[in-house]
Amino acid sequence: MMGSIFANIFFIISLILIGSYLILGIFSAVTLRKYLRKNSYVNYNSLVLSPLSPKISIIAAAYNESKTIIDNVRTLLSLYYNNFEVILVNDGSTDNTFEKIKEHYELTKVNYYFDYHIPCERIRGVYKSKNPSYNRLIVIDKKNGGKADSLNAGINICHNSLFVSIDADSIIETDSILKLVKPFLEEKDRKVIGAGGVIRIVNSCDVERGHIREIHLPGQMLPRLQVLEYTRAFLLGRMAWSQLDGLMLISGAMGIFDRETVIKSGGYSTKTVGEDMELVLRMRRKMAEKGVKYEVTYIPDPLCWTEVPSDIKSLYKQRTRWTRGLLESLFTHRKIFFNRTYGSLGLLGYPYWVFFEWLAPLLAFSGFVYTIYLVLTNSLNLPFYILLFLFVYTSAVSFSIWAILFEEITYHKYKKKRDVLKLVFAAFLEPFFYPMHTYFAVRGNLEALRGKKGWGKTERKGFEIKKKKVRQPSLRRPVKPEKTGKSDSST
Amino acid sequence: MIRYTLLLILSLLSANVGWAYPSITNYMTAEACVHVVMESPDYINNHHKIQISSVGPDTLKTSTYLTDTIDIPEKSTSVVRNIFFFKGESRWLKKINYSDKSIAFITALIAAIMISIATMIILLVIILMNRRRMEKEELLHLYLMEKYQSLIINYLFGSASPEEFRSIASDTHRRQVLIDQMIDVSIYLKGDESKKLVSLYKLLSLDKDSITRAYSHQWHKKIKGFRELAFMNINDANSAIYKALNSSNEILRMEAQIALVRLNDDNPFEFLSHLTSHFSLWEQITLHELIIQHNIPVPSFQKWLTSPNPSVVIFALRMIREFKQKESENDVRETLMHPDPAVRYLAVQVSGDLDMRSTLETMKDMYKYQEYNICLEIIKSMGKMPDISMMGFLKLVIDKEDDVQLQIEATKAIHNNGEEGVIALDKLMVSKYKNYNIIIKHVLDRRIF
Repeated sequence: MMGSIFANIFFIISLILIGSYLILGIFSAVTLRKYLRKNSYVNYNSLVLSPLSPKISIIAAAYNESKTIIDNVRTLLSLYYNNFEVILVNDGSTDNTFEKIKEHYELTKVNYYFDYHIPCERIRGVYKSKNPSYNRLIVIDKKNGGKADSLNAGINICHNSLFVSIDADSIIETDSILKLVKPFLEEKDRKVIGAGGVIRIVNSCDVERGHIREIHLPGQMLPRLQVLEYTRAFLLGRMAWSQLDGLMLISGAMGIFDRETVIKSGGYSTKTVGEDMELVLRMRRKMAEKGVKYEVTYIPDPLCWTEVPSDIKSLYKQRTRWTRGLLESLFTHRKIFFNRTYGSLGLLGYPYWVFFEWLAPLLAFSGFVYTIYLVLTNSLNLPFYILLFLFVYTSAVSFSIWAILFEEITYHKYKKKRDVLKLVFAAFLEPFFYPMHTYFAVRGNLEALRGKKGWGKTERKGFEIKKKKVRQPSLRRPVKPEKTGKSDSST
Repeated sequence: MIRYTLLLILSLLSANVGWAYPSITNYMTAEACVHVVMESPDYINNHHKIQISSVGPDTLKTSTYLTDTIDIPEKSTSVVRNIFFFKGESRWLKKINYSDKSIAFITALIAAIMISIATMIILLVIILMNRRRMEKEELLHLYLMEKYQSLIINYLFGSASPEEFRSIASDTHRRQVLIDQMIDVSIYLKGDESKKLVSLYKLLSLDKDSITRAYSHQWHKKIKGFRELAFMNINDANSAIYKALNSSNEILRMEAQIALVRLNDDNPFEFLSHLTSHFSLWEQITLHELIIQHNIPVPSFQKWLTSPNPSVVIFALRMIREFKQKESENDVRETLMHPDPAVRYLAVQVSGDLDMRSTLETMKDMYKYQEYNICLEIIKSMGKMPDISMMGFLKLVIDKEDDVQLQIEATKAIHNNGEEGVIALDKLMVSKYKNYNIIIKHVLDRRIF
């Protein structure tokens, strides 16, 4: 009896999951086609030259990134846009990140007076360069408080109505700001409060002085599988959710926000490791509760390249952290669940994340455990099991190949035919790694239940390793306490 | 190649259909068989061996009947083979208990698997073919572009005759490449050469293609048509362009605006008077760039300051600033009282940027009724046009406002009043009412801007 119930639940969930992927895929295809067609008539150069283009602040948080910080800041300063400033926040690095940047960019402390609109750790000083070539650069030196806290400090300092938050160790496409800012310029009756784009994987690419020289598919299997995962998530998932007005996440690696809305929403939360999702949820919630018409948009263009874990240990840390972040965000904003006040977000987006991003991996894990139990008790109904397995496997592979096709006909980043074939091969292997991901999800849930906080340490191999062995594993940010807001001066 | 691929896809599909039909037949047989088994206990006793151990607990409910009939195949490979190569005599399909699932359900499951496999194969073929097609098209396009460009140049400046273009114009794809090339070349032409190119365009009846596209129901074709007509200065489809002016498709709307500006030599911005939809900042930036790059005569934008469309007023204000039309001062002052806060905000900014001092008193009077961002902009504008008569008001802002940014901008505005401003700040430095030092230090630090 119990077995039959289990089997039915597994099957129905699989069916709904596959069905929802199919619907999202179709939505995504239609939206992507429309976007690309429209974009083919857009001349972004007019935005670069125009005095009418809005001024933007780019906020990047850095913690113990001394090996790459000079190149990373140089990349930021050379972005293809006219009106922008770069605010680099040194989050109390324990290595010589700050000293290096201070020396290289000829920084000097300025008498900066500002408001703590959003609570953040104490700002020890605000620095500007003596060299006029770097007049776009502002460096904040503050006590360690984590990524969210650093971004909040940057938001307090910047004065522009739009800000871009990025990971200092990501590689930004030079025209990314042009693409990110466009939805705000097209704003009509609905206020645009945030926009995100596609994050790509930089592992195995040739990187030179903060710019990608040649794109390659990752050589190792784990990053390659993540290429598939990212392609599916960004080109199939988020594109569709954006169209359905159910977008809940703008990747922390790169996103643009309306500063006023962020401040009114209270800035990034320092209580969660999923601050990127939590902020979007909170902003959306505030806007909906106020009855303001708004939108969170998504750009399918590749904007930013990031390094993904290439070993199981790092992947485990990343995924358990993601799960904790997801759970914390969902729990904090549980009021949205099936609540009509929040429109598509409450009725579609949020429930989807609850059922398919949070609960589905747990159910899948229990399915694996149950299968093992059946095998051990010699009571597995093999023919039916094989049928179900084939059904799920072929559907999963089909979706992955569909995502590869999307990539091929849209951005076509992998020029070598061999790379695409390798990716297809990875699509056939990927389902066998699913049990591992479900295990990570279970561990993430357990960690969340135990109240674990903080980012932990993520080891990065470094993407310039092939050219010159410069990059050492960089540490991500530890935890941070809260602080109340008040006015202060860096002096 | 396409034919071969289509053949391959068709054969795969027919193979699937071929598999599917026997499978349905098999299941019907299987259902009948189960029915017989359920009604004939003697048959159970006499026929098969019982293998209870191979049955899942989910089947235990009916174990008294059905488990007895289960006949598990000896090897799993034969199971897989039986799924994909259905044979009428397959014992596996007839006799297996699929966890109480109906035969229809199992059929649906197998059909879904088949569809997934077929989809996988089709998508793979498309991926591989698309890559080859793209490479081939790119090469051909490059070749044709180079060829036609030299031919056009030879026609304009050399001895080539229009007849040499006739054969090209007869092929749809090549004709489009030719149109694109003519448009590319037209950007660099003026005077007689430009007219010669337009005559060739008309002679080859390419204008008819453009007009047809402009009246198309598909927006992307319309855009292409608008662009071609605008570049070739052909006014025959203006009605279609005017119609697109208030389209909900922002890119179509923008292209219509650009086309009208280019096509209307006497009054290029006349369309602003007809614009009822929102004129986005993106459209404004594009149009401004068009004016700059194509030396389009700049009209006096003040007449649009009274437009009922606030976004048009905003554009007019921006253009007044960009083209420094200071003669519009009185009208700009009027817009300070505009009901739309976005217009008021920009009017304050423009007043400051163009040093329209007659607006100072109005700004001072309106300050206390405005939203925060307009208040901040008023103080900034006062800083841009320093006036001693405003110092008292600015000191009041520093004293009474709690917002750091307002205080900083008011201090800056006082400081911009030259010597008198410095004296006023010196007095503030020693004031016991409030600690102004950190604000003044910030303002005096010239590295901050």
